[in-house]
Amino acid sequence: MYLIYLTKRLVMLFLVVVTAATLNFFIPRLSDKSPVLEKITEMSESSAPGSVNMQELLVIFNERFGLDKPLLQQYFDYLGDMLTLDLNYSITSYPTRVADMILAALPWTLGLMVTSTLIAFLVGSVLGALTVWRKDLKLLQFFVPVVMVFSAIPFYLIGLILIYFVAYRGGYFPIGGGYSLTAFPAWDWEFASDVLYHSILPGTSIVIASIGIWALGMRGMMVTVQGEDYMNFAEAKGLKSRRVFLRYAVRNAVLPQVTQLALFMGQLVTGAILVEIVFGYPGMGSLLLQAVDYLDYYTIYGIVFVLILAVAVSMLILDLIYPLLDPRTRHHRA
Amino acid sequence: MLAIKDLCVDFPVMTGIVHAVADVDISIGSGKRVGFVGESGSGKTTTALAVMRMIKKPGEVSKGQILLGETDILALSSEEMRQTRLRRISYIPQGAMNSLNPVMRIEQQIWDGIVDHEGAVSRSELKRRSDEAIEGVGLPARVARMFPHELSGGMKQRACIAIATALKPELIIADEPTSALDVITQRQVMETLENAQEAIGSALILIGHDMGLMAQCVDELMVMKDGRIVERGAIRDIFKYPEHPYTRQLIASVPSIGGESFLPNVSATTANGQKQGDAPLLEFDGVSKVYGGGFFSKKGNTALYPVSFALDGSRPMIISIVGQSGSGKSTMGSLMLGFNRATTGVVRFEGRDMAIMKRHEVKGLRRHIQAVFQDPYGAFNPYYRVERALSLPLRRFGIAQGAAEIRERCAEACLGVGLDPARIIGRFPHELSGGQRQRLMVARALMLSPKLLVADEPVSMVDASLRASILKNLYDLKDKHGISIVYITHDLATAYHVSDFVIVLHEGHVAEAGAPKEVIGDPQHPYTRLLINSIPWPDVDRQWGTSASAREETARLMKDARDHPPVDRSAVPGFVLARAS
Amino acid sequence: MTLATMASENRQARSLDYVKGYLARNPSLAIGIVLVGSLVLFSFVGSFFVDARMARPLSAAPSQPPSPELLFGTDTQGRNLFAVLVYGTWLTVQLGLIAGAIGILVGGSLGFMSAYFGGWTDRIINFSTDVLLTVPALLVLVIIASAFREGMTPTMMALIIAALAWRRPARQIRAQVLVMRNAGYVDTARISGAGPFEIIFFELVPNLMPYLVASFVTAVSAAVLASIGLEAMGLGPQNAPTLGMSIYYMMNFSAFLLKMWWWIIPPIAALIILFVGLYLINTGLDELANPRLRRRA
Repeated sequence: MYLIYLTKRLVMLFLVVVTAATLNFFIPRLSDKSPVLEKITEMSESSAPGSVNMQELLVIFNERFGLDKPLLQQYFDYLGDMLTLDLNYSITSYPTRVADMILAALPWTLGLMVTSTLIAFLVGSVLGALTVWRKDLKLLQFFVPVVMVFSAIPFYLIGLILIYFVAYRGGYFPIGGGYSLTAFPAWDWEFASDVLYHSILPGTSIVIASIGIWALGMRGMMVTVQGEDYMNFAEAKGLKSRRVFLRYAVRNAVLPQVTQLALFMGQLVTGAILVEIVFGYPGMGSLLLQAVDYLDYYTIYGIVFVLILAVAVSMLILDLIYPLLDPRTRHHRA
Repeated sequence: MLAIKDLCVDFPVMTGIVHAVADVDISIGSGKRVGFVGESGSGKTTTALAVMRMIKKPGEVSKGQILLGETDILALSSEEMRQTRLRRISYIPQGAMNSLNPVMRIEQQIWDGIVDHEGAVSRSELKRRSDEAIEGVGLPARVARMFPHELSGGMKQRACIAIATALKPELIIADEPTSALDVITQRQVMETLENAQEAIGSALILIGHDMGLMAQCVDELMVMKDGRIVERGAIRDIFKYPEHPYTRQLIASVPSIGGESFLPNVSATTANGQKQGDAPLLEFDGVSKVYGGGFFSKKGNTALYPVSFALDGSRPMIISIVGQSGSGKSTMGSLMLGFNRATTGVVRFEGRDMAIMKRHEVKGLRRHIQAVFQDPYGAFNPYYRVERALSLPLRRFGIAQGAAEIRERCAEACLGVGLDPARIIGRFPHELSGGQRQRLMVARALMLSPKLLVADEPVSMVDASLRASILKNLYDLKDKHGISIVYITHDLATAYHVSDFVIVLHEGHVAEAGAPKEVIGDPQHPYTRLLINSIPWPDVDRQWGTSASAREETARLMKDARDHPPVDRSAVPGFVLARAS
Repeated sequence: MTLATMASENRQARSLDYVKGYLARNPSLAIGIVLVGSLVLFSFVGSFFVDARMARPLSAAPSQPPSPELLFGTDTQGRNLFAVLVYGTWLTVQLGLIAGAIGILVGGSLGFMSAYFGGWTDRIINFSTDVLLTVPALLVLVIIASAFREGMTPTMMALIIAALAWRRPARQIRAQVLVMRNAGYVDTARISGAGPFEIIFFELVPNLMPYLVASFVTAVSAAVLASIGLEAMGLGPQNAPTLGMSIYYMMNFSAFLLKMWWWIIPPIAALIILFVGLYLINTGLDELANPRLRRRA
């Protein structure tokens, strides 16, 4: 059974990736002229007469998408390239490969996103659980409507507000960037602390904007769980309150949160990218903004493809972990 | 041992204060079994929760005293109360299906109770005690390592009993412990509970609404109504000389097999059937149903194995299809209604195959096959007033035109089942009681005068006191209007009284079929015998569960029932059941 | 006045009272409606005072702080920021409404079909929705928008966003219908001779109404969110003063470094009011769709 489930999930992952690649291939062809070809032609015409770089790219383009070949073959060739993560060259900074540019930007995004999402998930879930369990703590009850409002505001607007009040008016944190212009990138404490200092505001925006999602989700689930018969029985068993809270209430209420995390992955990535754009943080978001600015199509497609892949893979991982948390979804080894 | 004095429990509501429990005095000796019986809202569960000090806010005990031995329960601190629960009083809440934590193994759920009451206990000692508790309720030791979802309903309830008795309390309170279980499992669970209680010598409070169950299980009975005890005494005395009218009504509402019909004024004469032409009204020809079995899963789930029968219909009859959940009885019903397609075989109505009918033919047929469903709450669209359920078919089948005529027809139908149209029509469903709604569904069927009516558990969700009168309404449909009825039920006693022919289904196979006097009155098939033996009779003298021989008998019958061929009793004119090949 | 009209007026008055009473019991719905309503009202009333042309570049002196003539000042390219707010708000709301409406119509129909008919229809629709839901919408929109960047208009934007706006409604409505399909009253309607479409529209839809409206509000909110995201990357309509475009210009032309606070605050404030308002309406509708009392029963 588990094997069937795993196969099904892998087929889905494969389809997601193919869908992403297909969109990359066909959407530019939907407009009557090829924006990619036009851009390359334009770049090669405007490049200095002595340099042959762009001509080279034009040759590569024609070779790869050889318009003489049948469309279907072009498509399958392209799929093959994408599946082997051959993301082609950047048009504006030829001959840099898109894959290399992404590799440089990805750690920034991953570091920022994973850390702030984990913080938001943990803190939000704990606060949400406590608002239901400890009705006597008035401060917590006040907290709910506040995070509720924050959860409605998009990540990047929170980012802009923080920039306005904390960085621009207050001057406590840098307005943007991943590290100071004067800092020298190295594996030392000085640079690390500089990076950390720069990541606090963008990280905080993600945490503030998403903490409410987890707090509200947890609160709702805790209310539901409290009405369950096993909670009643746990009380009748005279268990210690701490155990009832952790092993009965939270343990069950957190399960849908994990499912939610998988579902929100796409939204989180999108939000994080826009936050990076707002802060000029040197991750995938800023790379994307730059690529869009110069209409560097291969870079745009490459980033979109890698991000979709990342979301799909992380959803798959969460799906595969979930049975460890919830025995009901564990398939019997029949 | 337990003494409750002048107990009052109040719930403040918008309009004032509701006395959920008023002036209740109870005293229970150690080792005694006491039943609390009454309908929902009678205060029986609230009294038990007061003993556990588990009444949910804003309800509170406003007066009285609860003494457990020397301990004044109401005076304990909350930590002392916590220590009292499970160790001295254990409570098995209603809803056995969901009383276990779904993410913990059964043994862990026994251990945490032990650890929280006795402090740190060594792992091997814990394991020994949990295994002992699990085996003590007749479950195999491997259940200890299982999760709740891997257990059946009866096993879960037994696991709850194992948890509740692990610390050998002085008092066990079981709140409707078998409400969601079928009769066979109910009997096994009650047996387990009584054995466990006897083994530790504690007292037992059994909360329920079924007088039959009480007759089989308790020594003393408290009959509760509107928060008060209206009658109390030894169970034998109450059954022999019930004093309070409510008690009498409770006892009378439990149908028993044999004896006089519990339906009032059944006439012998019947109207002619609604049949036209020569073909039988309803015919199953080798019909089976397999659910699932799609692209991904190899094997489907067979709900019904091939069955063939013909209901002639020239004389109206009530055919009962009896079985436990999962026996395939509801599947048969939905096949008759055309809600489901047969996997193999043909369902014919008046000789025509229902599966290959044209759209307009199906519509024509709809009118002639009507239904009364199990759930009177779900059968009405909450968005509309109830008359829509009556007027929609009138309009769709072109039976009546114009608002005035439709209104008149609806009113007529209401009167036909003893409802006052002025007080019913124009109401929203939530404003009517379950009994009124179910009667309205019968009225709806009456108004359309179909040839066949499928009644799927029509009284299982209606208060016991109303069951007889609704069944009488159904009976009248056959009796006065010549409608043939397929009555689907798990309740052999009502089937015995209302039907002309009974089919007992077991795991999708016909176990036994024939006239009710024979099939239910003198069962031959082991499964039928098992079912009938498991019914808790409202008869104090009958030995139901406690003896070891009864348990052996159950095990033997269950084993036999698997392979036993169907038993075909003498035929009844008008209905032919073909032997399934 | 006939009796009938009197009765109907009476009923109207009563239902108005009922609505008022309900809003008092459901404050988040009330506050949400007030927030979104006042934003739309501001845009409507404001359009009588300023001309749409004033929202274009070079319509006023650049980089002016707020003054009685220029209420919200101007940006570095000489747009009247009050006019930008008035027209931008409406454009943004309109875009959300169009995309949300398409999303709920397409998604709703797919969800209904999928759940009601089941079988292969359901498998295909459900699986495609599953696959597409894994894909973050904004990323796909970036590809589409970058291919059609030339001559982008707000309506085109709305259509592009609608291309993916149907997924969540389809999923949610399918789940709801799956539950409702098994309701007893559907069976009652079937044996009353009602056909599948009559059952969908007259039995299921009325009960799903609060849910559909809530789903629509979510879709509008998601569409605005996506549009602002695209615009913040510079993929929006270049010639329309939507709120997202003002945020793009403001970031692109370093309003923070220039310390032009009047350029920064209004679009952010308007968007926050819009998002919070829609969110509160949604929460309120949720309460209407599943009141706790009903949930408990």
